[in-house]
Amino acid sequence: MNFANSQIHDFSLPQLDEVSLKPISKDYYKIIAVNKIVLYAILFALLFVAKSFVDGDTFQNNFWYALTILLLICLFDFVISYLAIKKRKYAIREHDVIYAKGLLVNSITTVPISRIQHIEESRSWLARKFHLSTLNIFTAGEAGSDLSIKGLPREEAKQINDFLSSKVNGKSGLLTTD
Amino acid sequence: MEKVDFSQPIRQSSKGIIIIFAFNVIKFFKNFFALFIALAFGLVRKKSFLSLTPMNIILIILGIFIIIFIIAVLKYLHFKFHLSETDFHLSTGVINKDNKTIPKSKIQNVYIKQNFVQQLINVVSLKIETAGDKKSEIEISALDKSTALLLKKELFNRINVDSENLEVSENTNVFFKASIKRLLLEGILHNHLKSFAIIASFVLGLYYEFKDYIENLEFDMDIDGYAEYEGDTMIKFLYIYVLIIFLGLLISMLFSVVRIFIANFNLEVIENQKTLEINKGLFNKVSLSLTPSKIQNIVVKTNRLKRYFNLYSLDVKQAMANKKLSKNLGIIALDKYQINHLLNKLLSDYQIEDEVLKPETYYRRILILKSLLPIFIINSVAFLIFDVTALWLNLILVPIVILFVRLRYKKAHYNVSERFVTVGSGAVDTITNILEINKIQAVELSQSLFQKRKEIASVVIYTASKSVTIPYVKEKDAKSIYDFLLFRVESQGGDWM
Repeated sequence: MNFANSQIHDFSLPQLDEVSLKPISKDYYKIIAVNKIVLYAILFALLFVAKSFVDGDTFQNNFWYALTILLLICLFDFVISYLAIKKRKYAIREHDVIYAKGLLVNSITTVPISRIQHIEESRSWLARKFHLSTLNIFTAGEAGSDLSIKGLPREEAKQINDFLSSKVNGKSGLLTTD
Repeated sequence: MEKVDFSQPIRQSSKGIIIIFAFNVIKFFKNFFALFIALAFGLVRKKSFLSLTPMNIILIILGIFIIIFIIAVLKYLHFKFHLSETDFHLSTGVINKDNKTIPKSKIQNVYIKQNFVQQLINVVSLKIETAGDKKSEIEISALDKSTALLLKKELFNRINVDSENLEVSENTNVFFKASIKRLLLEGILHNHLKSFAIIASFVLGLYYEFKDYIENLEFDMDIDGYAEYEGDTMIKFLYIYVLIIFLGLLISMLFSVVRIFIANFNLEVIENQKTLEINKGLFNKVSLSLTPSKIQNIVVKTNRLKRYFNLYSLDVKQAMANKKLSKNLGIIALDKYQINHLLNKLLSDYQIEDEVLKPETYYRRILILKSLLPIFIINSVAFLIFDVTALWLNLILVPIVILFVRLRYKKAHYNVSERFVTVGSGAVDTITNILEINKIQAVELSQSLFQKRKEIASVVIYTASKSVTIPYVKEKDAKSIYDFLLFRVESQGGDWM
């Protein structure tokens, strides 16, 4: 049967459009910002160090251009990553996990819970300070089909982890007995 | 045939020492490759290396060989396996003893292989794959063929007793045997563009390196023939380039003919009740079995010329549990009827859909935009090497690119049925990807900012062995395909393995 003929499915099927995706914690931007501030601080420092040590005329003449360009890149980067983080959203449904991301190319990936192999909750040093967690969801598929939901509030990550784990184990508990 | 008793711990065939020795020597040389290069250089330059004379070096190498040989003998002596009622046992290790027990029910696959060395001394290796992680894979590298077959049968027989998929191994017949003529034909009609591109870029790189040298040469040639040719130098150059391209094509063709012939020599497909068995290879004989339930993706390939000669190839991507590893098994030189038969066997009641859906014309525009980049790169490289005259190249290049874009768009199609997704793609090759919906691991809807404005999106479908993209369809259609696939996967609860 051809799919185009079976449009009836449309109103009986659960739809992607009906799902309200929840944005990740705003605090996650702080982590990104701290990382970026460190990176750009180093870059700016290098530039200034170079100014006081390098004697070449070409460098000294172009120093202010270089500084402006770096400043612009820095600003641009901060704005873009801020906008991009707003696009990171997730939702947990009864049978699947949905994760959306990407500013220029937006992608929405759904992993059915029955296809989850294992779940990992990881927290970096900085994330611990902001009470955030990263949830990694692994499938048996290619690398692209694994989800990594960053910047979840810790409590919520734990709840999701528990919910998914119980579902995954409930299913495979029957399978591993053979 | 003598009966081998698998219930007592036995060693592999004593020829196994040679195999282990050969493997270890190869491994040793691979690991210390850099050192050997350094040694060789040192020898050539100063007749000595680290103040060692050639005699000393030879002695050292001999010593290494002897040590490797002793290790091989010890490894052989300590490598024992046997079968019990339900398990396969293997004990290995000279200093660290290692006992492995594999329940027969966990065995996923048993492969029999034969590489060049093994062919010389007439033994085969048997590989047991399990559903566990990679470490639990076992390879017995030297067995007599009859013993290996018997062991394989034993391993499988027990499995079948306690699982429901009864396989009647007696009921087998050779379904397909590729004739040498068709194999050669397949090699000749292979898409040579890839190997040509590799060879061409290699040659171009070489040319760039030795540019000055070659130009000097050509300059000399020009002086010799200047009086005769005069205005014809341009044409002469053209001849040379056409000749070079022709030679390049010929070499890449020969290369792929030989490669395909060696890899698929004596290709035969044996049909069992439930599974398919593939045997092939000239130097590396491989014997693999396909189990329909483990197949993730099927790819049918052909091209216009091959279709004329009724030549199709079938790639089967099989997944192993809990591993990001999949096996790519190919059968080539099939005809249309055989392809349909195999598809039917591997995917129960798959129908080749007559009605197919096309991506939006926006896809063509994207393809054109994407092809501008290679055109630009080729032009700038050509410009750097051959000067302004090289821009004439566009006279050939642009029509080729246009043809490519047209073909890619023409061959792009998709179809989503109740149980299968079929996606067609390819430019020179005609590629048809087929996957069963309950094998899906994840679904992705991907949309760039520009696509969003045009209300167009792509659907990426992941299985355990590869991802398939339905490119550039209407956002509404993409979403309903997305919802439909998820609905099928989640409501059926079918397993993907």
